[in-house]
Amino acid sequence: MRKKKQVSAIAASTKGDKVFDFLVNLFLVFMLVVIAVPMWSTITLSFRPNAYIGSNLQGMFLAPWKWSTAAYRALLGNDGFLMAFKNSFKILIGGVATSLFLTIPLAYVLSIQSLPGRRYLTILIIIPYIFNVGLIPTYLLVTKLGLIDKIMAVFLPGAVSTYNTLIMRSFFEGIPNELKESARIDGASEIRILVMIILPLSKAIIMTIGLFYGVGFWNDFFRAMLYLNSNKLQPLPILLRNILMASGMNEFVEISAFGDAPIEAIKAASVFMSAIPMIVAYPFIQKYFTKGTLLGSVKG
Amino acid sequence: MRKQMSTWLVLVTILALVAMPLFSQGAADKKASEGTTVIELWYGAAMTEAGPPPEDWVGFQIIKDKLNIDLKITALPSSEGDQDVKIQAAAAANNLPDLFMVRREVLARLVPQGLVAPVDDLYAKMPVRTANHYDEVSRRNAMFNGKSYGLSDPGAIIKNEGLLIRKDWLDNLGLAVPTTSEELFTVMRAFTFNDPDRNGKHDTWGYGSFEEIGSYEGWPGRRLQPIFGAFGAEGTWDMTEANAGLSVFKDGFYDAMVYLKRMVDEGVIDPNWMSYKKDDFRAAWKQGRFGIMREQNAAYAAQSNYAPFDQNFPDGQWIIIDPPKGPKGHASVGPYTANFRVYAISAKAAQAGKKDKIAELLEWMASDEGYYLLGWGVEGVNYTLDANGIPVAAGVPDPDYSFTGPKGQVVTQLRNMVFYNGDVELYARYPTYTTAVSKKQMSALDVLREMQTKKWTPAVGSNTLPTPNADLKRFYEQSLSEFITGKRTLNRANWNVWLEEFRKLGGQAWNDAGVASMKENNLLN
Repeated sequence: MRKKKQVSAIAASTKGDKVFDFLVNLFLVFMLVVIAVPMWSTITLSFRPNAYIGSNLQGMFLAPWKWSTAAYRALLGNDGFLMAFKNSFKILIGGVATSLFLTIPLAYVLSIQSLPGRRYLTILIIIPYIFNVGLIPTYLLVTKLGLIDKIMAVFLPGAVSTYNTLIMRSFFEGIPNELKESARIDGASEIRILVMIILPLSKAIIMTIGLFYGVGFWNDFFRAMLYLNSNKLQPLPILLRNILMASGMNEFVEISAFGDAPIEAIKAASVFMSAIPMIVAYPFIQKYFTKGTLLGSVKG
Repeated sequence: MRKQMSTWLVLVTILALVAMPLFSQGAADKKASEGTTVIELWYGAAMTEAGPPPEDWVGFQIIKDKLNIDLKITALPSSEGDQDVKIQAAAAANNLPDLFMVRREVLARLVPQGLVAPVDDLYAKMPVRTANHYDEVSRRNAMFNGKSYGLSDPGAIIKNEGLLIRKDWLDNLGLAVPTTSEELFTVMRAFTFNDPDRNGKHDTWGYGSFEEIGSYEGWPGRRLQPIFGAFGAEGTWDMTEANAGLSVFKDGFYDAMVYLKRMVDEGVIDPNWMSYKKDDFRAAWKQGRFGIMREQNAAYAAQSNYAPFDQNFPDGQWIIIDPPKGPKGHASVGPYTANFRVYAISAKAAQAGKKDKIAELLEWMASDEGYYLLGWGVEGVNYTLDANGIPVAAGVPDPDYSFTGPKGQVVTQLRNMVFYNGDVELYARYPTYTTAVSKKQMSALDVLREMQTKKWTPAVGSNTLPTPNADLKRFYEQSLSEFITGKRTLNRANWNVWLEEFRKLGGQAWNDAGVASMKENNLLN
């Protein structure tokens, strides 16, 4: 009986609702096209053979049996590319671990209503978010800390993001206070409460913030460019930039770092390959992602 | 649940604790052994995407053994903008390396801060290098207040571009090589409308271009300079004694604009020319989209660059032609200037008494041993010498390790510090080869030599002249584009109004500053 009522309610959606749904779907299809077309274009370009003739648009419909894997073979056979990939992973893992290790306790402390000076502490954290300290002072600090030419220099200066901390704090504030109170009554310390009560309930926000940090560190070009001097420490974004800048690499010399693969394909392949880890990680984190961002943003 | 969380906590803690020392991994300790001088060098890599020389590169050991120098090298970022940021950040922290490549504009900012040392005294200490690398023009390039603050090594080869035309298309249509701007227009029209490739489709255009704008090759950029040269309006600047100033103020510039507008209106220029990037442009001529272009010698004729065209059009043939003469007899491929790679020595290094050691290092690089080692690698491993004593990739035991191979390229990353466009390197860089499909004999060096015989306009130093601020630059480039696309009507009255507006917005001040700089630096021809 109840089910029937629900069905009839759905059936009774007005013409306006249908138009609205249609427009929403249209918008989503549009967004899908906006995102998917450049990605598909990059993929087909990366498989384009050296002797390809035709426009970029035609190239997007190039049959798979005409594809060439020369660009991928060249990239994977290049020691520099593999080294850069390894360095990026080090930055990713080190950065995410350090950031979460620092952000979680900070956000938790800020979420405790009874913390003395909580408001001022929050303001103190927000100030550098609004008034960025600037390049030179940061560079001086990193230099004085002896971090120049150390992988830590890439992720340590940006290890704690105010924005992420505030999202996480809001999430923690949403956890029923009674849970913490009962733990306190049982004699649990704050660290124990954080570890035993809060963290198990916060998988969504941890995954979400971890993803935010991860994407940031994976793509970070600027800090690596600024603070890393040794070539053996260069991460993927630096190499990617070098490859993308190398459009005239055959201009002055008769050699190419990537053999016979066309440079356009090399560029596209390197862009695509550098995006693969994030593309692979996203679906696994997606289920937490929506929940985490929504819950974290309910309270301000 | 508790157990799971405890495990999780322990893991995170261990990870974080382990992460700190692990990720504090950095460069090797810079402490040197007794008596060895550590020299930190930030260099411009020959191929930034190819990776650095390996840590066990034989060059490091030779430099240590022979010069007692522990050389620490860092490749600068690939883009000039990133290079500037890195150098300026290091400068702000007084953390500049001992020896570093730097753009002249950045060097000009470092000199007043006392962060770089004068190098005048070093020329005499490097007789071989000075003879090959530094002439009067190069010494003047990095001179500020009468002192030279940078060693200006020869950069890219000058006059290495030319106006090319599809000879096979001319033959198909029974046309002669154009010599005047009007003949050129006739050919462009025929290439566009008379199906020069005989494929029955309207898929070709006369002229191909893209907007490659530089400080001395202002809008519409390098690729259209032969057109503007026909009207005596090539280059951003006129550097002649009689007409010194911005080219845009010359009558010829307006005439060139009218000509270009005609090309656009009649559809004889590839319609994508305003949206093409360099790669698109190069892909386009290899796909046979247009039959006239200005191109660089190696980008056109080097083996790997020519190969796709050869495969697509085995009967295709480009020839280099003289730039067309305009109505008043002007002709020019475009302006040329002198290119340099400037290396500066930090004041910190000078204070530490490293200048002489740096001179010793640079002089060794200019010796035969340094020249060949940095330029091509180790004989028998990375290169062999042909009958004429020219390094070639053929004949090495493992082609991957030849100086053209993927593993061999890394050992020549410092070659820009030793190359000076001498004969040996040019022959090695541009070997003669037979194309794979059409079996033509090609040589990018022959092409270069021919391009250099064409008429060019001297504009040495024009790349060091004042540049407009971003707003004025935008206004200049945007409004000139608008005249061509039809957003603004191109006629004499409108042009004069626009020129007046341009003057008021800062164009006149830019012009005056440029002329003053030309006079001050003796750049006028």
